[in-house]
Formats: sequence, structure tokens, C-alpha cells
Amino acid sequence: MERTRKIVLISLLVSLGLILHFVEAMLPMAFIVPGAKLGLANIVSLMGIVLFGFQGGFLILMMRIILASLMAGTLMTINFYLSIAGGLLSFLFMYGAYYYLGKRFSLLGISILGAVFHNLGQIVTAYYIIANPGIFYYLPYLILLAVPTGLGVGLVTYYTLSYLNRYFVKGVEHV
Amino acid sequence: MDKLWNLLTLYDKILIVLLLLGSVFFIVLPLIGLTTEGNNLIDGEIVIQSSGIIQARIPLSDTYGDKALRIEIAGPIGTSIVEAFQGRVRMFEAPESDPEKICEKTGWIDQPGPMIICVPNQISIWIEAAEPEFDGVSW
Repeated sequence: MERTRKIVLISLLVSLGLILHFVEAMLPMAFIVPGAKLGLANIVSLMGIVLFGFQGGFLILMMRIILASLMAGTLMTINFYLSIAGGLLSFLFMYGAYYYLGKRFSLLGISILGAVFHNLGQIVTAYYIIANPGIFYYLPYLILLAVPTGLGVGLVTYYTLSYLNRYFVKGVEHV
Repeated sequence: MDKLWNLLTLYDKILIVLLLLGSVFFIVLPLIGLTTEGNNLIDGEIVIQSSGIIQARIPLSDTYGDKALRIEIAGPIGTSIVEAFQGRVRMFEAPESDPEKICEKTGWIDQPGPMIICVPNQISIWIEAAEPEFDGVSW
């Protein structure tokens, strides 16, 4: 029963992440700073980390990225590698911050960290692809934007989790 | 707002302040450099790089014709069309297979600093100012 509940919850989070991923692709943000995004799908990654730890969170992240790029037809293209680079780096830092510095940072701070490292991972990957250091010109603008977007994502995660804990996730072991 | 403030821990606030200060510092820093270097943009050039190799250097003075200059640049996923006109440059058309077309959305650039980047097609376009001249001023 426990296992089934976990499988269902992980699948639900993956599909939620997919929808957020595509909703986000429709929102025009690139006119502010090229490459800027709200990071809505990060809500699901952060929830995955809190609810299921490293393994489950990693599974949710990778399934979301692979399925989204399959649906958009960008699997194994440069966009896919950019997604993976940003997603993995932000996942690792959010995981580290949540489990080792969880008493110091709230979910809001962890989400901001995730947003910043998502940008960093993408910019560094993009730098290796186009081989032009001028791309770092946009990094401070992206980080400036990462503070409010990360804060928003953190707030949504915080309130969703406090709701979920009360009604849905009772059977799932979490730290 | 009060609630949000209570949710943040001390370390959250330190992180936010550091990030804001750091990013604003690195945004302002190049702006100061630009104003002291002076406006040598008349002698500046547009540089187009693709796949790590500089494909074209177009002096800005060549872009003041009656019609916009259009340059086709071939990349790994197709041909991008760059347009230069009246001292500005933009990505006129990204290949159909570019999923996000961020370079098209970047719009015009007309000064050194910002850069038009098409990561999928490995193209970057920027403006280089001429070397600043110090008219007889010695350090």
C-alpha cells in the first residue's frame, strides 16, 4: 500500500511538472532578459526533494525533463542538455541545502538557491557550446531576476506542502 | 508582507541581500566602464561568431544605408538571418527548428555589452567599440 501510494504521488508530481513546464514555455519572459524564466517546474523538483529525498526527487526531475523534451521534440538536442545541466545543478544544491542546512535556510531560501544555480548551470553549458565569454554579461541580470522568481516558487512550494502534509501524504515516509 | 518576512530565516535574508547586492554590482560595473570609454561607436563594428569562429565583422558605419543589411549565417540546425540597420543589429529570423527562438526575442542591440545569442545554432552577435583613444592624454 505504502509503495503504491508513493508511485502514484511521484507520477502525479511528474505530470504536474510537465504541465508547469509547458505553461512556462508559453509565458513570454525572454523580452526582459534573454533566457529568463519563472522556473515554475522547480516547484515540483523542490516538492520531490522534501517529500521523497534524493532518489525520489532525482527520479521526478529526470522523468520530467526527459518526458518534456520527448513531447517538445527536443530530446538529445542542445535545449535538452541545457535543461539537464540547469536542472541537475539546481537539484544538487537544493538537496544539499535542504538536508544539510535545512535548519538555517527555509524553503524560500532553498528555492532561491535552486533558481540561481539553475541559471549558473545553463549559462556555463551555453558558454561551452557557443564558446563566447560575452554570454556572462547576462548572468547578473538573471540572478537579479532569480531572487523574486525563486521567492515565488518557494512560497508556492511551502503552502502546497503544508496542505499536502495535512491531506495527502500521510502514508509517505519523509524527513 | 508581514507573513513573508516571518517565513524567511536570518540566512535567507543574508542570501537575498548578498545576491541582490552582487548582481546589481556586476550590472552597474560595466555601465561605468562604458561611459568613461567614450562614444567611439561610429568606428565600432558588429561581430558575428558561429561555431566558435568569427564569420563576419561589419563596421557600424556600413549600416546607415537606405536598406537594411541582411546576412545569412549557417549553423548546425539551419540558417539564421541577421539584420543590421542604422547602427543596430538583430536576429531577423531564427531557423524553424529553434524551439525557443530566444535570439529573435532579444531584439535590437546597439551598444557593446549585450549580446544576441542563439545557443542551438551556436551563433553569437555583439558590437565591439573601437579602441578608446586618449587624445594626447598621457597617464
